[in-house]
Amino acid sequence: MLDTRIKIWLVCCFVLSALMSNAYSQGNRQNNRRGRADLKIPEVAKKDLICFALYTVHDRQLKLTAQLYPLAADDDRRVRLEIEKNGQWTQVATTQVIEQGWTAPFRVQDWDDSRSYRYRVVHGSEATYEGTIRKNPVDKEEIVIAGFTGNSIHPVHGGDISRQDIIDNINKIDADILFFSGDQVYDHNRHYAAWLKFGRDFGSIIKDRPTLCLPDDHDVGQPNLWGESGKISTLSGAADGGYARPGVYVQEVERAQTSHLPDPADPHKIGQGIGVWFTNLNWGNVDIAILEDRKFKTGPAGRVPKQGPRPDHIRNPDYDPASVDVDGAVLLGERQLRFIDAWAQDWRQAKMKIAVSQTIFCGGAHIHGSANGRLHADMDSNGWPQSGRNRALAALRKGFAFHYAGDQHLATIFHHGVDEHRDAIWSFCVPSIANLYLRWWEPLEGGERREAGAPEYTGDHLDGFGNKVTNYAAANPEKMPAGNILNTRSAGFGVVRLNTKTRSITMECWPRNVDITDPATEQYLGWPKTISQLDNYNPSSWGKLGTLSFDVSDPVVQLVETDSGDILYTIRVQGRSFTPHAPKSGAFHVKAGKDKPDAVVVRNGKVGDPAVSVKLR
Amino acid sequence: MNRVDFYLLLCLRLGTCLCFAGWAWVHYYWEAPYGVLLWSDSTFEFAQSMGIDWDAYVGTGADDGWVQTWIGRLFWPYLVCAVLSLTAGRKSWLQMVGLAGGCGLLVFVSYAKYVAAQRQPPMFIEHGGQMLMPIVLWCALVFGVRHGATIATACVAFVMTFAGHGCYAVGLWPTPATFFAMTSVVLGVEYETAKSLLLVAGILDFVVCVGILIPLFRRPSAAYACVWGFLTALARPVAGMSPSLIYWGADQYIHETVLRAPHFMLPLYLLIVWSPLGKQQSQSSTD
Repeated sequence: MLDTRIKIWLVCCFVLSALMSNAYSQGNRQNNRRGRADLKIPEVAKKDLICFALYTVHDRQLKLTAQLYPLAADDDRRVRLEIEKNGQWTQVATTQVIEQGWTAPFRVQDWDDSRSYRYRVVHGSEATYEGTIRKNPVDKEEIVIAGFTGNSIHPVHGGDISRQDIIDNINKIDADILFFSGDQVYDHNRHYAAWLKFGRDFGSIIKDRPTLCLPDDHDVGQPNLWGESGKISTLSGAADGGYARPGVYVQEVERAQTSHLPDPADPHKIGQGIGVWFTNLNWGNVDIAILEDRKFKTGPAGRVPKQGPRPDHIRNPDYDPASVDVDGAVLLGERQLRFIDAWAQDWRQAKMKIAVSQTIFCGGAHIHGSANGRLHADMDSNGWPQSGRNRALAALRKGFAFHYAGDQHLATIFHHGVDEHRDAIWSFCVPSIANLYLRWWEPLEGGERREAGAPEYTGDHLDGFGNKVTNYAAANPEKMPAGNILNTRSAGFGVVRLNTKTRSITMECWPRNVDITDPATEQYLGWPKTISQLDNYNPSSWGKLGTLSFDVSDPVVQLVETDSGDILYTIRVQGRSFTPHAPKSGAFHVKAGKDKPDAVVVRNGKVGDPAVSVKLR
Repeated sequence: MNRVDFYLLLCLRLGTCLCFAGWAWVHYYWEAPYGVLLWSDSTFEFAQSMGIDWDAYVGTGADDGWVQTWIGRLFWPYLVCAVLSLTAGRKSWLQMVGLAGGCGLLVFVSYAKYVAAQRQPPMFIEHGGQMLMPIVLWCALVFGVRHGATIATACVAFVMTFAGHGCYAVGLWPTPATFFAMTSVVLGVEYETAKSLLLVAGILDFVVCVGILIPLFRRPSAAYACVWGFLTALARPVAGMSPSLIYWGADQYIHETVLRAPHFMLPLYLLIVWSPLGKQQSQSSTD
């Protein structure tokens, strides 16, 4: 008989050796395991050390961030930016590589955006990476923004399928701007490796056009994100609010994805030294507000009464929506609301405005692709907190801003309402590049005031938080089992065409692996959809003031409530006449000007007033 | 049964009871982590073959659906096992079978967490203490609290818990974000300090795994593990609870400590077994 101690020894040694052998074999098998993505950082030659580069140009400032592979200890840390002038490469900036994430951020002031330039990023004597800084397309009638979200690379649902179809299509339509709304990276521990893969997949289209990347929850390494101004989250699932990963990790993510964006509107840092990047980009006379709808948002755990098996999920259909709209719960936060307020009034070099953020301002799905099944409401959406949602919409509609977002894994078109249905902005949530997690918009009752022939799920609804929403389209996946192919899971991407001449906005929603320039190719059911810029704030209960005729084209007009002095909206109108719409009760001042509304042109105007001729020269 | 043996058995009963009670709370009040297992095409196909349609599976909105309903019902077997942990005796075979079945429940929930963690082995291994706690108690009831099989099983459970935790803490597998977060919040330190502390803690996790196998070091190892297991279990409520939260956040965090009771009760059990008093009592019992 073996001594008991020896037995214990043997058992423990067996467990430890099993542990180590499992780890070893896992390392060997990792690349072959179904459902696992290969995130190994490749060994590259010195000449290929620069993986890709992202840039924006705004207000005559070029910001470009080059993403490098890891440098050796003896490699130079200096990177140069050169542009081609008269057939010669001319250095315009140098920068030091930031080793935490291997980024090289450049900034060039007084950038001439009236013409295109070839550029190259140069490291050492061998590595170069070339692309094109486009001219500001102010002379184009139609600005095309391609939108993406949810870049899962997991093979189990088609994430490993090549993105070449997307590359080809974007090149065919020659998009002016690329917008990645979030979840560019799904790996919660290896953002750098996954970001390099993202660059290898999309770098060929990113290098030649301004690109907006908005880090979302998975990018910063957590399943959901209520940033709560940089608090540290300790609860599994992060519903207590804050960031689960260390601040330095989040900073590295934001440096990689957002350091090429125009400078933040309000650069004060939040907790853990995490920066902010909400700002605006003016390109082709389209003014884009780039919003952070996660960073300041309050976590629901412990703040709202429990209504389901997760602190952020409401499963009780009989709950009182007002009970979760608790005092102090923040969505965009005061700093961002102040920014939006100023941005909505500023129409310099702008004919249209859109806002981009991670997700949409409502609960935009009913069935969630996990054991949760049907949820009444999901506090990860911007439908909660309702007061914060309404304040955000009320601010955005003052600039007639169209909202472009992602995150939901379910493409939808919603017309949002604050006080009444359809009295606020429209939103387009784009489908996932590869869909990790399925969702369906499937209300139990058909919507009211549906368009003729439209599916029952369209029309006026209340979302799970009691928010007023009108659905126009939902690219629901096939019913379970949805299969593992990209398009049965409603994968794809969005295209928004902003016509600055007609002021129309066209939303397109395309599946994967199709030729979107082929007239025979069909979009997801419900798309394309075209709306007017003015539809983003046109309550049906309002009437019309007298038509204004101007002596200049495209002036900026502002409507101000006489009694309160509140600005109802500001817009750069199309052409030389405009009929302001306004509430049927009350009186309003109308202000106007060539570039800003600095002159009162109508005092105490009322619905039904006669036409007015206005001189602004 | 002498006084020390009574306390040894009490350690095992309490550790098992609290573990089941903590998980019972998760199943009753929160969402147990089975989604990754129950929501897949193959599972749905299986459900379909049993005559369960889509709406019944996911719920209609007016009800919870098959999946949620049955996950919630698992609360009952956990609750029963929590009671059995206190009442089971060697001669009550039905209770003993129930206790062994409770181990199966804990293996199942640990496997679900392992799959959800992208099949990282330490995730399953670190649940060894929880999974094996009912078996240790079962061995204690069947063979005796000082029997070699009971002690050996307790040692395996101990090593699994601390080796699994150590793998994460030293970074052999990606350290869970909550480790850094809790360290930073509880101790008020920056990330770099938290990282260093976790590295040290992880190394000590491995040291105690080896330490309990060496007679000279097993008592201090068990003592350290007992304190460390308690502190890590306590870290969740300490880091997360706040007077500003509903119920101070107790419903969110207390069970996280409770279900980790084996992490400190198993080392406490071993510490008592190997203590001079324990040995003395054992000797006198033998005499």
